[in-house]
Amino acid sequence: MSVFLDDRPKPIRSLSRFLTFALVVIVGVSGLTARLFYLQVIDGGRLATLSTRNRTVIDAIRSPRGVIYDRAGRALVTNVPTFVVKLRPSDMPLDQRPVVVDRLAALLRMTAPEINAIIDGNPGSTFDLVRIAGDVDRLTAQLISEAGADLPGVEVAVEARREYANGPLMSQILGYSAPVSGEQLKTLKDAGYLPDDLIGKVGIEAEYETLLRGIYGSESVERDASGRRTQVLQTIAEARPGDSLTLSIDTKEQQYAQKAMLWAMKEVGIKRGVVIVMNPQTGEVLALVSLPTYDNNVFARGISNADYAKLLKNPDKPLLNHAIQAHYPPGSTYKLVAGTGVLADKKITSSTKVQTRGYLTLGSTRFYDWNRRGFGACDIYCGFGHSSDTFFFQMAGKLGIDRLGYWAKQYGFGQPTGIDLPGEVAGIVPTNQWKQDVLGSRVFPGETYQAGIGQGYDVVTPIQLINAYAALANGGTVYQPQIVRDVVGPDGTVVRPFEPKVLHKMAVPASALKIMRNAARSTVTLRHTYNLVDLPIKVAGKSGTAEFGIRDRKGRLPFHSWFVGFVPKDVRHGSFNGTDSQLIVLAFAYDSRTKGNVATEIVKYYLQQHFGIKKDYRLPNLLKRGNFYQSN
Amino acid sequence: MGVMRAEPARVTDWAAKAVGAAWRAFDLQLTTYAGLLVAVGLVMAYTNSVEGGSLPLEAGTTFSRGLMWAAIAVVVFVLATTFDYHWLKTLAWPIYALQLGLLVLTLAIGDGVGGSARWVSVGPLTFQFSEIAKILMIIVLASYLASREGRLDSLASILGACLLVGPPLVLVMLQPDLGTSMVFGAILAGMLWMSGASLRWLAVLAVGVIAMIPIGWTYLLRDYQKARLTSFLDTNPDIQGAGYQLYQAQLAVGSGGFIGKGLTNGTQTQGDFLPVQATDFVFATLAEELGFLGGVVLFVLFVLLLWRVLVAGWRSRDAFGTLFAAGVASMIMFQLVVNVGMVLGVMPITGIPLPFVTHGGASLVSMAAGLGILQSINIRQTKAAW
Repeated sequence: MSVFLDDRPKPIRSLSRFLTFALVVIVGVSGLTARLFYLQVIDGGRLATLSTRNRTVIDAIRSPRGVIYDRAGRALVTNVPTFVVKLRPSDMPLDQRPVVVDRLAALLRMTAPEINAIIDGNPGSTFDLVRIAGDVDRLTAQLISEAGADLPGVEVAVEARREYANGPLMSQILGYSAPVSGEQLKTLKDAGYLPDDLIGKVGIEAEYETLLRGIYGSESVERDASGRRTQVLQTIAEARPGDSLTLSIDTKEQQYAQKAMLWAMKEVGIKRGVVIVMNPQTGEVLALVSLPTYDNNVFARGISNADYAKLLKNPDKPLLNHAIQAHYPPGSTYKLVAGTGVLADKKITSSTKVQTRGYLTLGSTRFYDWNRRGFGACDIYCGFGHSSDTFFFQMAGKLGIDRLGYWAKQYGFGQPTGIDLPGEVAGIVPTNQWKQDVLGSRVFPGETYQAGIGQGYDVVTPIQLINAYAALANGGTVYQPQIVRDVVGPDGTVVRPFEPKVLHKMAVPASALKIMRNAARSTVTLRHTYNLVDLPIKVAGKSGTAEFGIRDRKGRLPFHSWFVGFVPKDVRHGSFNGTDSQLIVLAFAYDSRTKGNVATEIVKYYLQQHFGIKKDYRLPNLLKRGNFYQSN
Repeated sequence: MGVMRAEPARVTDWAAKAVGAAWRAFDLQLTTYAGLLVAVGLVMAYTNSVEGGSLPLEAGTTFSRGLMWAAIAVVVFVLATTFDYHWLKTLAWPIYALQLGLLVLTLAIGDGVGGSARWVSVGPLTFQFSEIAKILMIIVLASYLASREGRLDSLASILGACLLVGPPLVLVMLQPDLGTSMVFGAILAGMLWMSGASLRWLAVLAVGVIAMIPIGWTYLLRDYQKARLTSFLDTNPDIQGAGYQLYQAQLAVGSGGFIGKGLTNGTQTQGDFLPVQATDFVFATLAEELGFLGGVVLFVLFVLLLWRVLVAGWRSRDAFGTLFAAGVASMIMFQLVVNVGMVLGVMPITGIPLPFVTHGGASLVSMAAGLGILQSINIRQTKAAW
């Protein structure tokens, strides 16, 4: 070694410190190797499975929803493809959420709080898709699907939306399908419903949900971290398309019925009304109009909160199907029950005459006839035909409240008809038992009188009332009204053909019903229904004026108008001795307060359209409003 | 000092006669191992670029930028090798000033994620000066400690070293860059250890640092830093939040198995499940695609490299060379263990790159400078024999 080097200080290197350092390196790297070995070799299988699960998911294959036709084969609803924006929260990193939500809000013209509310209200888990917006236009859908990594977790799907061909015309029948709610999902999850699924909410869409929906299939799908599908790995089960339905409803009849009702509403200013048309031989419903109504397309597209609130606030309840979901006092139409009862129970015969005066006294109370002069000695044809109140007070008295209730139930009152629409109410048939249960006392004789003329405790749904008269028309068979005729499978074959459903046969002699049919005819022939008899077709029926609500200063009550009419098979020459009627029509005008019976005019207008009667028999001068029904 | 006296004569000696000798003293192994590690880094950049869906050589991809930085690193390495490292001692104070200047500049004009300041943009390039600061820190510390030769076991030397490290460490913490400040600490510890500092005072220092941890935890760390630091301890991690990267990284590593899925076949990374796959989590991609075997090969390369770095330090006749090697070794060792440990879920998540492999220009260039200086140390030890 040279002097030069010796000149320098001793090197500071220390073998022990170098070796210790080397040891640290060895220990450190060995530790990493051991950990790597554990993760990759020992625990590798489990982690590999998790990694696979990370990118493969089981996705449902949605089945195309069945479509709905009217009885003539016209499509009432079709499935149209629309763009839907969905989000899988688990694929959206939490720290990116505000950014993603703001971008989405701008693109969808929504507000960030709205979107946050939707995400937080997500009924499923964070791994389930949340529907953010439906019916998104093509351009926005493109922008969003191209935003890619800028919108992690967001995807655009093409989904079928329901497009209802006639909108409001059929809304009360068809209802609509809309996104499933969190509440519904709780019970439907096991049935295979997805958090972003659509479900029939009301009407036929709800009633036949299972058939229309079909059965969802499933497939395993590979996806990337943003949740976008990269490829389908395997189809596990094919989807089975939903069944289609053919309704007994005829769009043309529905239009006639709606037109008749709208005419009266416009002419008189009625706010609510119902028109039902049925075939008494089968229980098929040919038309069912409940006004006011709503547009089911608005719901199918996704109704705004403001619009929905407006519908809910409307006092005339456009979301309610007044034909089945509400009950009203039937008024004189209910005299059918007492009339049939006294004949069947042999309290009177067709020739028995009863004295009818201007009023009937019970204790110190007078029960007035609508006609203060009375009709003199009256048989059933006269009593029913003129709709004598005092006649039927006496008939009700002869039967007593329980027997009256028995005959009401024979006609199907007091229980739902079982029509294939959701939400039907039962109505009320008062009996001693009923009043004891509900009000805690027996029925007073005066109440029996009222029950005999369809006032007091009696309430019926329009569908019950038409169904009762249908039983009269067909000779005593109470059918279940049906909206759906045939169920058609995906391949076009009829899976479930139409079959009339008999609820029960009335325990009543055919002769009693024949007398009542002719009594109903006498309503027309005695011109109780004015010029209805002048029509070139034969109509039998019964009108009703049903008081409700609160008396005005003069002690008068507002009232509804009813009319149910049916025609024999041979409409020009047939007779009501037979039971071959093919057509029965009901009109109900809520709070009508017209001089004449507006419901009769509505039925008349419908019949004119249905039978193509050129001459117009309508009597607008009967429709003057504000002339309260004189009672008591 | 002798060095300064010898200088004028030696430049011509070396230039005229000693190229052959210098080549013999040049540590080819050191350069080879580093080169292989850079190659591994480029392969990972390639696979990440392909999986990112772009052509690897397209401008702006991880791979093409990696190639560019590798070329720059080679130039830096050659320059540092030819530069006589003895000058570094002379330039220690200006270098220290430069280091502080760069860190202040970063704080002043730097960009980063979420209000932090880590990168300085120069034209299309972004540069992380804290990476350069690491090597500059090693130079400064080595110069300081070498100047205190003979008194290295005194408390004053230890405190002096701590005082030197203090300002840059605080500046980096302010960015905030917890990882780099921890690297500074590791460099300090490693160099003090190798300087032969008093074990007693080192132990006191260690106890002091450990005692500071609760205070630092409460007052210095931000919530997200705490969440990242502790997420690896969580047995039931929040895989949607702070634990997401870690969870996905473990899936990537674990699914790689013994031999891996093959390059460009990583589904975790292909599906973009794993964020920052090209940078701090590059080892996850490597482990997924090259498996346990690939990981072990990488570890062996690092061990060999560290061995050559330590050998350079051992062979150095002056304290500066020994201490500089110790600093470089500490830095590589610490970053290796913390980065890979983080991916493997046994170390907290900190933004520490894997030396040579992680895509990032500043890190690679500063590593090249460090290894170049080591080679300069290697080839300037035999001069006395001429």
